[in-house]
This record gives sequence, C-alpha cells and structure tokens, in this order.
Amino acid sequence: MSDSEKWGWWTLGVVALIVAAYGAFVAFLGHGPATPSVFALLALTALPASSRRYFTGRRFDEREHQIASKAKQAGFGALWLAFVGLIMAIYFIKGWDATLTVPVWEFMETLWWAVTLLLAVEALTTIVLYRGGYHA
Amino acid sequence: MPSPEPEITNHIRRLRFEHGEMTQENLAEQAGVTRHTIMALEAGKYFPSLLLAFRIARVFGAPVEQVFEYHGGEAK
Repeated sequence: MSDSEKWGWWTLGVVALIVAAYGAFVAFLGHGPATPSVFALLALTALPASSRRYFTGRRFDEREHQIASKAKQAGFGALWLAFVGLIMAIYFIKGWDATLTVPVWEFMETLWWAVTLLLAVEALTTIVLYRGGYHA
Repeated sequence: MPSPEPEITNHIRRLRFEHGEMTQENLAEQAGVTRHTIMALEAGKYFPSLLLAFRIARVFGAPVEQVFEYHGGEAK
C-alpha cells in the first residue's frame, strides 16, 4: 500500500471517529457549545504529515501528483455542492430576505464539518483512484 | 462510426525479465517513480507522461516505441 493510500485510510478512520464521537457527545450531552470540541480529533489528520516518514521516506511521483490533484478537486467540488445546497435550503425554508442569527459555536461547527467533508471526499477519491486505476 | 477507444499497452514486464529479471522496485528507482506506479503501468491502469515513458525506455536502453504501443483512435 502506498503512502498516499495509507493517508486516505487514516483520514477516513479519523472522519469515522469524528462522526462517532460527535454522535456520542450529542446523545449524552445534547447539542450545545461543547460538541465542537470533538473536532479537535481533526488534528489527527495532520499526524501522518508530521511523522518522520513523511519527511524522509514519502515519495510523490507524477501519478501520485495527478491523483492528489484530482482528489483535491473532488473534495472542493463536494464542498461547493454542500455550500450551494445549504444556501438553497436556507432560501426554501426562510426565504431570501431572512436574517439568520447563528451562535458562534454553531458557525464554528459548520466550518469544522466543511473541513471534515473536504478531507473525507479527498481521502475517498484517493483510495478509489488508486484502486481503480487512473489514466491521465 | 466512432473510432475505438485509444489504448496504450506496454512491454515493461517482459523487458524487466529480459533485463536480468529486474525488480519493479529497481525499475522504479531508476525511472524516478514509486513501485506502485510501475505496478499500475504493468496492469494497464495508468498511462505515463511522455517524460516518464522516455525515462523507462532509457532504463531498458530501448526506443520508446519498443516499450509502449499505441492502439486505435486514428487522428483526423
């Protein structure tokens, strides 16, 4: 398994952990300002990058660059769709002239979920392209 | 009538064996890529860039058209 694939599986594992931890937090403590604290788990996604292996042994050739680039595109594409979906949902529910009052912790939580979505799609795309083959 | 999907095949596996059973790792090192890319090339899952095609051909000391073959998809 290549380093990029390992990163993909690691990231998906962290995302699953975030979802599980968030679910448990909401179930036991309710939805409140404390729930975003589970997103501290996101820091784990930085672990492979900060490991010694990354700096000394990881190789990134032309195919891996292409896969990484496609994966990033897919991640940002998903983020864009989610953003448009969210805006449209707000429009249909509240209308264009509505004013939203959002607590800071909810705003922060939304941003964390956006990062989580981006990383999940990027990791999944990396794994799929590695497995299925990728033609430039 | 639409032309068939163009395809690039290669003889990397055969050439490796003809060159003292060169390992994928060894070829990858000389071509400056990872072993996974050599595996993907041999499995036909990846079409290399021109640069990589030439580098691989140079490792085998052969012209690029002896390593890679283009099939179908006639240019108009």
